[in-house]
Amino acid sequence: MINQSQTLRALLPGDALTGGGIDGGNKAALAEIDASCRVPVLFFFLSGLAWLLAGTVLALVASIKLHTPGFLAGWEWLTFSNVRTAHLNTVIYGFASQISVGVTIWLMCRLCRIPLVAPGLITVANLFYNLGVTVGVGGILLGDSTAIEWLEMPRYATPILFISYALIAVWTLVTFRLRAERHLYVSQWYLLAAVLWFPWLYGTAQVMLLIEPVRGVVQAAVNWWFAHNVLGLWFTPIGLASIYYFIPKVIGRPIHSYYLSVLGFWSLALFYNWNGMHHLVGGPLPAWMITVSIVASVMMLIPVITVAINHHFTMVGHFGKLKYSPTLRFMVFGAVSYTLASLQGVASAVRSVSEVTHFTHHTIAHAHLGMYAFFTMVMFGAMYYILPRVTQREWPSNALISLHFWGVALGIVLYVVPMSIMGFIQGTMLNDAAVRFLDVVQFTLPWLKLRTLAGLLLAAGHVAFVINVGWLLVRMFEPYRKPVVRILTGEAETVAAGK
Amino acid sequence: MSVIAFILFGSVVLLPAAGLLALRWATSTGQFRCPDKAALLPFDEAEPVGLETDRILGGNRR
Repeated sequence: MINQSQTLRALLPGDALTGGGIDGGNKAALAEIDASCRVPVLFFFLSGLAWLLAGTVLALVASIKLHTPGFLAGWEWLTFSNVRTAHLNTVIYGFASQISVGVTIWLMCRLCRIPLVAPGLITVANLFYNLGVTVGVGGILLGDSTAIEWLEMPRYATPILFISYALIAVWTLVTFRLRAERHLYVSQWYLLAAVLWFPWLYGTAQVMLLIEPVRGVVQAAVNWWFAHNVLGLWFTPIGLASIYYFIPKVIGRPIHSYYLSVLGFWSLALFYNWNGMHHLVGGPLPAWMITVSIVASVMMLIPVITVAINHHFTMVGHFGKLKYSPTLRFMVFGAVSYTLASLQGVASAVRSVSEVTHFTHHTIAHAHLGMYAFFTMVMFGAMYYILPRVTQREWPSNALISLHFWGVALGIVLYVVPMSIMGFIQGTMLNDAAVRFLDVVQFTLPWLKLRTLAGLLLAAGHVAFVINVGWLLVRMFEPYRKPVVRILTGEAETVAAGK
Repeated sequence: MSVIAFILFGSVVLLPAAGLLALRWATSTGQFRCPDKAALLPFDEAEPVGLETDRILGGNRR
């Protein structure tokens, strides 16, 4: 069996391995594509990681305030409502969306088999994007939040973001139009759909809630339609596109069933956008609207099960490779979490369950299972694969990779499992008229302290990752060190160039 | 109100129509015809099926 470090594939375009023979031209083409993506991908990744650190600090402050309300109580701009809202917006719009765009750029170029086109367009989009998030989060901390969940950024920030989304969508369509490979891979279906769905979602919600606000309960309906669909029609497609590309690529085996993957995409497109109103069970909406959303949530079992079957059977016989590949570890963790988050979501949509779990910490646990255990883990895995290729440098520290993985993996499990259990108990207590509200609050306190501990583990993982990325970038500016690879053992060592 | 009407029209008519057009384009250009070929698209001669491309941990790297 031939074991090769990723260095081998990323750093040797047609070199010593094959003597520039058999596949030297293809390797050079891949290296050219990767190099063309370097600047915009790094821009999106680095700014995304900066927002991740900011969002992590805000999350910890918010978490501590839940069980120790006096913490930073003298700072009026750091009230719980401000900090929690700023946390959500930094991690959703600052971190997750920017990493998504970076991954989309690289995947589109690789799968279209063309070097990056219109780099200026995508760089301007990045600048607009970071300006928009900075203005938006700053506005929230200064008290200008709109108080509409997932759309809290003030009105003066959102047009800047919308311009950026539109530019990203245009760039993706241009790349797609100029593609050298005419056949589409399932990841491209997901990516193209995501970059078109999101500006539509965002623009529609902005107009109907902020620019020309609809009245009454329709606002709540539009709000939840947006908040739920931003997960399902923006983050989920990009996460699944990444899993469908990286798992086969890392283990060197095509996906189990391409038919199932296509079925999964089209069933997601058909059913997901009906979701959202199930968050309003018990609210003053026509019952049929809520029922439609509940039915659509249950129908989501079709894409979820197809994806789960496909991922599992693709991995069968290759689980041993989890030991060696950080990308695979994060991807498989994310893929399993996607199934779990979706099943939990289906269960939570049912009226009898929602009546207990809504307005409790169970919902927060579910959101983190989807956005972190699934999506963020997949994005970490993608960055572990992409960054060495665009920088043409090896990851500097295996220890930091392990610290990152185990920190965030243990952290998110310690977050989601106890919070899900606690939320359910909290819901049953809240529904019991004989239980005093203060007793419910006191019951949650030990669990909330556990949540802060989980947050510290996540923060440690984030810091380890950012240090490793920073170290990688330092290496990028060092003189090129030619890798010497022993193919049969998989060992790789570097020697100074010219030696 | 006109903007909202436009958005609702877009959501109810244009978006599903775009989805149907995409589906029609995909079938007419044979996107669903060769699943075996499509499944191989992440691979090429430089990184063929059977080659692991991310083997970092657990080795003897210095």
